[in-house]
Amino acid sequence: MTTTPAQADLLQGWGISARLRPSWEGRLFLRDSPQADYSSPAARAAAPGSPQGGGQGWAGERTTPVLHLGNFPLPAGRGDFGTGAMERMSARHAFVALLVFGPEEVGTALFSPVGMPRPRPVDFSPNALQQRLAGLLGYQSFFTLEGRPMCLYAVLGSASHLGPLSAEVNAVIDGIGVS
Amino acid sequence: MMAIVVVQTAVIAVLAVLVAGLLHGYAGVLRRLHQLDGGPEAAGAGAGDGVEVGYGAEGVGGSVAPFRTSAGVAPPAVRSIERRDEWSAGHDIRGVTPAGEIVHVSVAGVEHDTVVAFLSAGCAGCEGFWDELARPGSRPAPPGSRLVVVTKGPQDESPGALADLAAPGVDVVMSSEAWSDYTVPGSPFVVVVDGRTGRVRGEGSGGSFSQVVALLAQANGDGRLAAVTRPAVRKPAADREREADVDRVLGAAGILPGHPSLYAGAGGADGPVPARPSVSTGRDGR
Repeated sequence: MTTTPAQADLLQGWGISARLRPSWEGRLFLRDSPQADYSSPAARAAAPGSPQGGGQGWAGERTTPVLHLGNFPLPAGRGDFGTGAMERMSARHAFVALLVFGPEEVGTALFSPVGMPRPRPVDFSPNALQQRLAGLLGYQSFFTLEGRPMCLYAVLGSASHLGPLSAEVNAVIDGIGVS
Repeated sequence: MMAIVVVQTAVIAVLAVLVAGLLHGYAGVLRRLHQLDGGPEAAGAGAGDGVEVGYGAEGVGGSVAPFRTSAGVAPPAVRSIERRDEWSAGHDIRGVTPAGEIVHVSVAGVEHDTVVAFLSAGCAGCEGFWDELARPGSRPAPPGSRLVVVTKGPQDESPGALADLAAPGVDVVMSSEAWSDYTVPGSPFVVVVDGRTGRVRGEGSGGSFSQVVALLAQANGDGRLAAVTRPAVRKPAADREREADVDRVLGAAGILPGHPSLYAGAGGADGPVPARPSVSTGRDGR
């Protein structure tokens, strides 16, 4: 994995790239395909005693890439929405996740907005957190970019640094590319 | 009657002075505690009535952390880290995890120090390190620092073997580039990077993290590194009593130190393999 200086701060894979700002780090991953225990998502949901939220896959299920960026150490084990990392955030930390969804979501109402969103300070709220943690503010937006349905999820460490952290997150978002 | 009023007035005046003095002292304590706590206004506190001294610790972006004394208090001599310019540069770590995750780990220009352990799945000398990482409750890196295990890239190491070897939660990055960046002579090899300066503070080898980090702590005289091998702070009595209560309840339930339920996903392991360690301290003598 040889990199030139221009590539040194670039995280790239699966059609997603992110140029890292100073002190930010990133991780880009694709989960392993789960074992196909069901014929379809509907079959899994209908199965008695099936786990809410999955854990067992269905035939033909494909996983999609997830990008995590943070200005703090991102731990090895994290959930797609940053569980495991958010608990380690302090007041001056920020976390950004870009999650790609499957092609079956293209054209649905949820993903109807087009283009990468730009969160304003007023858009961050504890109610937008996937997992509510004291002091943290969240933002999430579903959209479609380059024909790929996505979710942008951002978390700020504290309302007392809302302005600077929001600007930092937007600068990070500016460095994300999708192809 | 007049005398009583005069005495009363004098007593009230004295008490007022005492109360004002107490409040002033209390405000001073709070202000100092806030400064020690690193509050955002700490740097500006007392501006204009004190002396600002650079403490030799460059922050991110090259700024010097301010240190102030109150008016009339002689400032301490400016202290700089001796020969810090000779420390070799740290490098961010780019690579992939055994699971295929593309990773960029920041080690320079960050708040925390990073302990970078260059290990291999096949080297006999690395067994003590892998064992220590797998031990339930193990905390090989000093408090406030981060541990990253770096192996060579997928062309030189088996991701499957590493996935089997590394305990859950251990951050393993496969990067031949990092081995080259840090001029690693062979595994096992441990490098400690100072996050704020982005410089290598120490490096060395041994049979386990405990050995290497303790030696680096001795060489650097660094309390933060030493804290990994000894208790850092004496706990208040209330905390000790509370912990004793918790231990008593857990013990009554049959959950004793080392019980698997205390360490989800971690397995047991033997102790580290003793070996004669060697160490150097952050100079370009690799």
